[in-house]
Amino acid sequence: MTSKIVTLAAGVALAVSAALPATAQAGDTLSAIQERGSLLCTGHNGSYLGFAEVDDQGKWQGFDIEFCRALATAILGSPDAVQIVPISWAQRFPAIQSGDIDVIIKVTGWTQSRDTELGLQFSLPYFIGPFYVMAQSELGAESIADLEGGVFCANAGTTVERVLADYLESNGIEYQPLSFESGEELRAALYAGRCDALAGFGPFLAATRVNAPDPDSLTIIGEVIQLEPEGIVVREGDDALLDVVNWMVSALLLAEQEGITQANVDEFRASPPSPTIERLLGVSPGVGERLGLSDDWAYNVISAVGNYGEIYDRTVGEGSRYKLPRGLNNLWNNGGLLYPLVLD
Amino acid sequence: MTAFLRSKRVHATILQCVFFAALVALFVFLGTTGQRNIEAQGMATGFGFLERSTGWPMAFSMIETSSRSTYAQVLWAGLLNTLLVGVLTLVFATLLGLVVAFLRVSTNLLARFAGTTFVEIFRNVPAILQVVFWYAVLTHTPRPRDAYTLGEVAFLSNRGLVLPAPVFSGTDLLTILAALLAAFGVLAAGRKLNLTRRGRILVVATVIALAVVLWLTGRVPDAPLVSVPELAGLRFVGGMTLSPEFLGLLVGLSLFGAAYVGEIIRGGLLSVEKGKLEAGAALGLSPWQVNRLIRIPLACRAMLPSLANQYIWLMKATTLGLVIGFSDFFAIVSTSINQSGQTLELIGILMAGFLLLNYALGTSMNLVNRRLKLKGGH
Repeated sequence: MTSKIVTLAAGVALAVSAALPATAQAGDTLSAIQERGSLLCTGHNGSYLGFAEVDDQGKWQGFDIEFCRALATAILGSPDAVQIVPISWAQRFPAIQSGDIDVIIKVTGWTQSRDTELGLQFSLPYFIGPFYVMAQSELGAESIADLEGGVFCANAGTTVERVLADYLESNGIEYQPLSFESGEELRAALYAGRCDALAGFGPFLAATRVNAPDPDSLTIIGEVIQLEPEGIVVREGDDALLDVVNWMVSALLLAEQEGITQANVDEFRASPPSPTIERLLGVSPGVGERLGLSDDWAYNVISAVGNYGEIYDRTVGEGSRYKLPRGLNNLWNNGGLLYPLVLD
Repeated sequence: MTAFLRSKRVHATILQCVFFAALVALFVFLGTTGQRNIEAQGMATGFGFLERSTGWPMAFSMIETSSRSTYAQVLWAGLLNTLLVGVLTLVFATLLGLVVAFLRVSTNLLARFAGTTFVEIFRNVPAILQVVFWYAVLTHTPRPRDAYTLGEVAFLSNRGLVLPAPVFSGTDLLTILAALLAAFGVLAAGRKLNLTRRGRILVVATVIALAVVLWLTGRVPDAPLVSVPELAGLRFVGGMTLSPEFLGLLVGLSLFGAAYVGEIIRGGLLSVEKGKLEAGAALGLSPWQVNRLIRIPLACRAMLPSLANQYIWLMKATTLGLVIGFSDFFAIVSTSINQSGQTLELIGILMAGFLLLNYALGTSMNLVNRRLKLKGGH
């Protein structure tokens, strides 16, 4: 009911705000954020485990939330200068179009229609999402084909629905689809055995499994059904903000590649071992000016949230209760698919 | 001239015209600025997306859909799903409501207590909670291979209720439809021809017999008449499956609706003057005849307007299907918004769909009301 009302409200809000003159104008979002003194970033309606969840003190945490904080630090100098707006999957696009939020950092798959028709643009992928299928262990399925005829559940309105249909149809596997708008109902249905399998994003499946009444009752099947690059989304025409986002992601990766962490960033700044690190940490000028930021923005980001690897470990990786391996979300020189851009 | 302008009717007309023009101007203004802003943001608009394939499958649909279906087809299927659940809800809520109402006005203390308890429980718990509750009950039934079974032909498991189903093909359906139409036509003609009651029964029986013969001869030889479900791997094959999503929504809304409908019917029954019932009894009518010939017809007139309201309300409540994963019209629109991003168009379609459904419902209730209305005085 809530999400229903919220979706409708989002629609009405979009209708009204689209109809009023001087709605969020693309192109000046970066200066709007600076004037406002806070960044409006996406949360979730409820908890999307590992990425945007509310802890028992009512605070937001998770992988996506850390990126919101990192972006706020890059632009405004403080990880607290961010307002997390609770938002459903369906609501994220109307919300950014109407200016209710500045960016979408919500594991959003880079698809053609979103990139073109919705008037949005995507940053470089900040996360590589492999899609898996997680089955009830008692079924003893070793491959997805063993689940022939079963009920496959998914989050309604996400790319998972499409990816799953493509994979199963092209492999000639019959199935019964079932999708839920709310994460809580989806999990309840899975734990009750209404679904034989849950398809989704690897990290999401792992988190769902950890939270199950009996984690051993669920098994993630090894086949990767699809790979989805997830980007940070800004409005079409918001080139200045997109530049900041791209270089923020790149700085986090570069820091990890060079071994710069939250703990030792001050040592690196005091005696930078290479000209690149000198530029990254703002010891030699240029890195901020080109983006309309202060030169020490990357330094601030790293001292506030750490490098990419630290964020990952803390929220979904070894340091968290989800214990997700880095897998493809590792740097290129560690067998992953991620790489920093060239900082000249 | 001044007298003309001062006339009350002219005044009123001018005021109305001005108000209407202002309203139109407001909508045109909102529409054009909306359009301009959407274009400025580089968003695609229009209904072109309806022709595109969705790429995602529907969990439940009465017409054939797949991930290759277009948005238009999928939305249509969603509307049909809403119509199915809505109409069934109205039927069950009315039947159950009728029982509850008679319990409530009964002279038997126990019956009155049962009726009151039902109404108080199901009217006072929010509809969404009831729907979620029944859904949870249904999904916590055993797995298919340990399903509760009734004579090995009907099964209740966490995959839903599986029942044997008659096997119909498209031509069978056409035959049935034709037979229904013929029977209806014969009855209508029969009334004009002043056929006796026995004559009419004879004619209808003939039509039904003809239809059955046509159905039996027209079908593929040796094809089974009834498909009985069987457990095969993870699921049942054959028969017909009523999914937990469908059942949960139907049961939840029917019980919730029955509490309200029951109260409306009770009000109607109570509005019939006691004197009329006593007059019927004095004429030697049996209690059942008093109910059938006097009480129910008079009560119907009194309760139809509020019943129409309640029906429309229940039809809109089918949108709760979204919460438990039933593919109703609202859930399909919501998913489509997310997948295609055409928010404004889809919200428009959603509103138009419900307007159409409820307008049709309201109009037909008004028709019934007009037919039942007392002509002239008492």
